[in-house]
Amino acid sequence: MADTMGHSATATRNTSVALGFCLLAIAPQIFEFIWSIGTIFGWGAGRGPATVVTSHVTALLVGAPSAIFGSFGGGTKKASSEVLLALIYSYPLFAVAILTVFMTIRSAQDYVGGVILMALALFALWASSDLQGMRGFSFGAGTAPRMFGGLLVALSAGIALTGLLADGPAMAHYSWRGPLFVMVAILFFALAIRPLGLVVTAFVSFMIAALGSHETRWLEAAIVGACLTLGCAILFPYVLGLPMPMFPRFLVQ
Amino acid sequence: MELFANLAHGFAVAFSPINLLMCLIGALVGTLVGVLPGIGTIATVAMLLPITFGLPPVGALIMLAGIYYGAQYGGSTTSILVNIPGEATSVVTAIDGHQMAKQGRAGPALAIAAIGSFFAGCVATILIAVLGAPLTKLALAFGPAEYFSLMVLGLIFAVVLAKGSVLKAIAMIVFGLLLSMVGSDIETGASRMAFNIPELADGLGFATVAMGVFGFAEIIRNLDAGAEMNRDLVQQKITGLMPTRKDLMDSAPAIGRGTVLGSILGILPGGGAVIASFAAYTLEKKLAKNPSRFGRGAIEGVAGPESANNAAAQTSFIPLLTLGIPPNAVMALMVGAMTIHGIVPGPQVMQKQPDLVWGMIASMWIGNLMLIIINLPLVGIWVRLLRVPYRLMFPSIVIFCAIGIYSVNNAPVDVILAGVFGLVGYWLIKHDFEPAPLLLGMVLGPLMEENLRRALLISRGDWSVFLTRPLSAVLLAIAAFLLILTVLPVLRAKRDEVFTESEN
Repeated sequence: MADTMGHSATATRNTSVALGFCLLAIAPQIFEFIWSIGTIFGWGAGRGPATVVTSHVTALLVGAPSAIFGSFGGGTKKASSEVLLALIYSYPLFAVAILTVFMTIRSAQDYVGGVILMALALFALWASSDLQGMRGFSFGAGTAPRMFGGLLVALSAGIALTGLLADGPAMAHYSWRGPLFVMVAILFFALAIRPLGLVVTAFVSFMIAALGSHETRWLEAAIVGACLTLGCAILFPYVLGLPMPMFPRFLVQ
Repeated sequence: MELFANLAHGFAVAFSPINLLMCLIGALVGTLVGVLPGIGTIATVAMLLPITFGLPPVGALIMLAGIYYGAQYGGSTTSILVNIPGEATSVVTAIDGHQMAKQGRAGPALAIAAIGSFFAGCVATILIAVLGAPLTKLALAFGPAEYFSLMVLGLIFAVVLAKGSVLKAIAMIVFGLLLSMVGSDIETGASRMAFNIPELADGLGFATVAMGVFGFAEIIRNLDAGAEMNRDLVQQKITGLMPTRKDLMDSAPAIGRGTVLGSILGILPGGGAVIASFAAYTLEKKLAKNPSRFGRGAIEGVAGPESANNAAAQTSFIPLLTLGIPPNAVMALMVGAMTIHGIVPGPQVMQKQPDLVWGMIASMWIGNLMLIIINLPLVGIWVRLLRVPYRLMFPSIVIFCAIGIYSVNNAPVDVILAGVFGLVGYWLIKHDFEPAPLLLGMVLGPLMEENLRRALLISRGDWSVFLTRPLSAVLLAIAAFLLILTVLPVLRAKRDEVFTESEN
């Protein structure tokens, strides 16, 4: 299959996959950065964006390499969580990304799937790195997560390897419309149910979710949405007795 | 006879008006879910979990059980009439069932599916009643080492019976185990992988993950394929429900074989209704004098799988009620339902909650009887439901799921988490990972860790305890044997053959 595509085509494809993996390698750092922007406006507690960026950049560029060499020199200084993240999560994925450029991917579905799963496993290893390990023969809190995390790294490496060794399907097509609007509807529901109550939230979420299909007819969707909202407003609080805010808070008060 | 006394007690419980009503609601909802494609049993049971808060525990479990086996009936209806399997379990039924419908024999096909299901349901009900007590006694001989080994065996079974790559299935189980570690550690109370998010301190809710991976992910996937599915209804009126004498003669042995096969596969951990129907179809094809009839409207191809999936749906309650180990994802949700009502599933349930266990067993038989009535004469109503277009159905399912998850803990974060797991599930589908082993791993994770820790603590850190205790050694040996068999090329080919039926 790769032959018919021509050599250059595979090469460009590989670079983009490798770039994707690089992005994946610093995804937690980016996520923390985006999250920290909120602190400027006073949402949530935590470090500001500037501190987040400097600490991660130093960890990635300076802290982690020195920790590696330090361990060769017998240093036992405890590494910070940013350095550990770089060591446990980012560096292995950068390594995989570099390797990807030189590989012929025979089944993108398996290869990419395996690597992303590996990223999840490495992340779990990092997340449980601060937990206590074995104490004598008794398990610490971190023993089982590390055991399963390590096992998953090995298994996902195996899956990625089959993607290199055996022919298989290419990447499946992802569409954006369905996932996006369904997720927005869910997110809206989660954020609005407390302040706005069931009636408003259910109807608006219904309409947002309906955007997910290009076959939606608006009048029809609005009627069904209204009926559904009415049904839910009767069914959940009254018939089933589940406590739930019904109307927007500012209207009730 | 203790057995009859127990069953009589069960029927007394099940025939109380409230329980009869719950059974009927369960059977109706189950049929509805089975008929409608795009919403599965797992998502429905997860969605209805919070609803059972306000119900008495017996009624709640009777209803949830009804949904599970009711869906097996409903799935066959649409498979036969419209060639759209409403449930994964009736995929194979569509092969021959729809051909029969095209030949104008939809009536007999539906009737045989219902009769087969009913027969299998009756046998499975008796099986649960008979096997329950002895297995409970066996469970009392189990220590932590044995429990751990049994769960390993169960997970290996899930791998063997999963579709596709063995490596991927094992990876999914381990991923599930890892997800189950999120939250507070049971023994030390240390917060694990919770990132100081208070809602995660209690761990990821099983219903939340199930709803994301099976509910939301399924919706997104269906939207991918284009919301409007091909629904060429068999328009002509269904005439002559009753199968001919020859039909009955042909399908009777198939029903018997399907029941036996389904019962066995249902009891095995990791099995369940889906694999049972596939295996039964393959078996019928192998045993038939003239295999070429299959795919062209062979009545055995309907009778076998339909009996098997119903038998398996019911016998999968056996490991749950006797050992406290859920053999598949739906049973795992039943564990959730039991815990909501303060019942710890396991060997002690049989003694401490005879009302619950025997009432539920008896209700299964009643439910099967109700299902025959719901399905056969009312078949027209169910088919009409299929005319509801998906573009209106999917936003409704999204809203129902969201309300359902929210009301479990009144926590908006749970809804967001379910959405995230919906995306994870979408990603899993795109990379051909099976979500079912993931869920099983997630359910068994805490139990496995606890028993592993306990076993090692008792043996003072000696890992050989799993091999020196005979029961545990046998269980692990079976697991290893199975795993080796699955990887062997000869058996792999056979295993793939079982699953390829769904694709042609």
